[in-house]
Amino acid sequence: MRKFLGAITAAAVSMATAVMADDITIGLSVDQLFESRVAVNNGIKAGAADKGYEVIEVVADGDPQQQNAQIQSLIAQGVDAILVCAVDQNTIERALIAAQRAGIPVVAYDRDLPDSRVVQAFVGPDSLVDGRLAGEYTAKALADAEGEIVIVELIGALNDQNGIDRSAGFREGIASLENVKLIEVPTDWDSARALSGTQNAIQANPDVAAVFAATDTHIPAVETVLADTGKLVPMGEEGHVVITGVNGSRDGYDAVLSGTADAFVVMGTDATGRTAVDLVSRILAGETVDRVNYVGGDLYTIENTEANAAKIWGAPK
Amino acid sequence: MSRNTIRTLISRQKWIAVVLATIVLAAVLSLASPVFLTLSNFQAILVQSSVTAIMAVGMTFIILTAGIDISVGAILFLTSALFAQLMLDTENYLIAFVVTIVCATGLGALNGWLVVYFRVSPLITTLATYSIYRGAAIHLTGAQNIPVPREMGFLGNGRILGVPVPILIMATIVIIGVYMLSRTRLGVYARAIGNSERSAKETNLPVGRVTIAVYAFSGLVTGIAALILLARVGGLQSGIGIGIEFTVIAAVILGGTKLTGGSGTVIGSVIGAVFLVLIDNGLNLMNASPYIYDVVRGSVLLAAVAIDRYSAMRRHSALEAQKAARMA
Repeated sequence: MRKFLGAITAAAVSMATAVMADDITIGLSVDQLFESRVAVNNGIKAGAADKGYEVIEVVADGDPQQQNAQIQSLIAQGVDAILVCAVDQNTIERALIAAQRAGIPVVAYDRDLPDSRVVQAFVGPDSLVDGRLAGEYTAKALADAEGEIVIVELIGALNDQNGIDRSAGFREGIASLENVKLIEVPTDWDSARALSGTQNAIQANPDVAAVFAATDTHIPAVETVLADTGKLVPMGEEGHVVITGVNGSRDGYDAVLSGTADAFVVMGTDATGRTAVDLVSRILAGETVDRVNYVGGDLYTIENTEANAAKIWGAPK
Repeated sequence: MSRNTIRTLISRQKWIAVVLATIVLAAVLSLASPVFLTLSNFQAILVQSSVTAIMAVGMTFIILTAGIDISVGAILFLTSALFAQLMLDTENYLIAFVVTIVCATGLGALNGWLVVYFRVSPLITTLATYSIYRGAAIHLTGAQNIPVPREMGFLGNGRILGVPVPILIMATIVIIGVYMLSRTRLGVYARAIGNSERSAKETNLPVGRVTIAVYAFSGLVTGIAALILLARVGGLQSGIGIGIEFTVIAAVILGGTKLTGGSGTVIGSVIGAVFLVLIDNGLNLMNASPYIYDVVRGSVLLAAVAIDRYSAMRRHSALEAQKAARMA
């Protein structure tokens, strides 16, 4: 009898979840569309498809007001959960509170909202570790350098936690080097600004030893400047500038394969997207989840880049 | 030449304020950084100004007609995307170049046509096309980055007779712009329309055609700027061109062109573009804190505009004094 009841309950539960799965819709609020974000979003859509969830995607084009309005509209459409990558961590909270009042759980992805009282979980890159990996590689490559070591650092947007953390991590990574002169170049994630900033920094410091790009999509711009100034020396030769970056895009992949860049840290975009959906389904099932869920990046050099192409989201497929 | 003629010559040039501001800023920077006054740094500044300056030449004509084009950054992005995608699909430079340039001109012309045909404010019209063009580009590329072939780099960092190619292209377009503005009907008509569209219509000037032509010209030069930027950055990225319209418009206004139309110069706009690059160049050379950039940029811009207003007021009071002297 007990067995029978158990079987019935199990059947009922599985039916219930099947019915629920049919009905579950995730509202996906995206800050802006660009390559790596699209890669994570694809992971989310793949994860949602596996579970039979529907996804309503809205894109704010970098406008915080628009993102607020879009989240309100997701609430009005009665989504079951919201996945959000915020344009701006300070302006999003009002809309998220409205979601909370409507009983809709919110999970942040890719960019954490550490001060938010609404966000139940975050999944994204461990930018501090990603930056540190690049820093440690740079420190190792320059361990024998003498005199003042000039390192140019291309910083991301100053209101973006990932950019800030990658920089902080990079600094931790190069802490073992002595006599470092760090040149900070703000880019706002804009390659044109990265380009002119690098050019100016190298004008002022022609003896540059290394460049760290907070996103590897800036590496082609760095390459342009090094070619301009006659400093584009292949790896292993005298005068080579050590170049590292974080992301995992096609730009970084090509640069490492061609020997322009030394190493790049690849973010696990697919894993991030799938974990985000997983968190949603666990929260909806009433489970408790960790507040912070990091998907660490991996550093690849010319030796192991091609072999791991399948794990690098930007590699040509 | 007597002192008076020199003085009138100077006071007539509306771009003199931005020249003064540029010289002052350059002097400060050369004190702050020993690298500033080097040939290679000057080259770097001009190369960095090239994209904005080329676009500013086109924008000058539009603003002269009392118009404005907010969508130039989106045209820049869409034409870059088109070029990168065509190179990827056809690997044929000729096709990619021709289609890109024709398309850029067409997008500009479409802006002009919409402004003329629907008589909606150019600000609103081009705000709408901004969204359409940028959206079309994102749709075309799926927000993916597309690398461009290596040889393309020649446009961005090649040299002819020792001069960087972007500087040569910029110089050519500036000369064409100056010629068009001062020696062709298009330039004269554009200014006439900006001064008074009604008078221009009443004197039977081809107002509609001229308006479409200046927007098309701006589209054309934006297409050329797009290719330079693409070559320098090394590939298409979805952030290309965001916010550049404001830099371009700021360069034109700094250069002494009146936002209300009718008066302005191409040279002024180019110096305006160089001035804006100088600010970032100086901050980079001094290894300034990244957190201070926006404050300095804003303050220097404000100072430049203040100098401009001050010199305009002096011009005005000098004219008033002359008038009073004549009356007496």
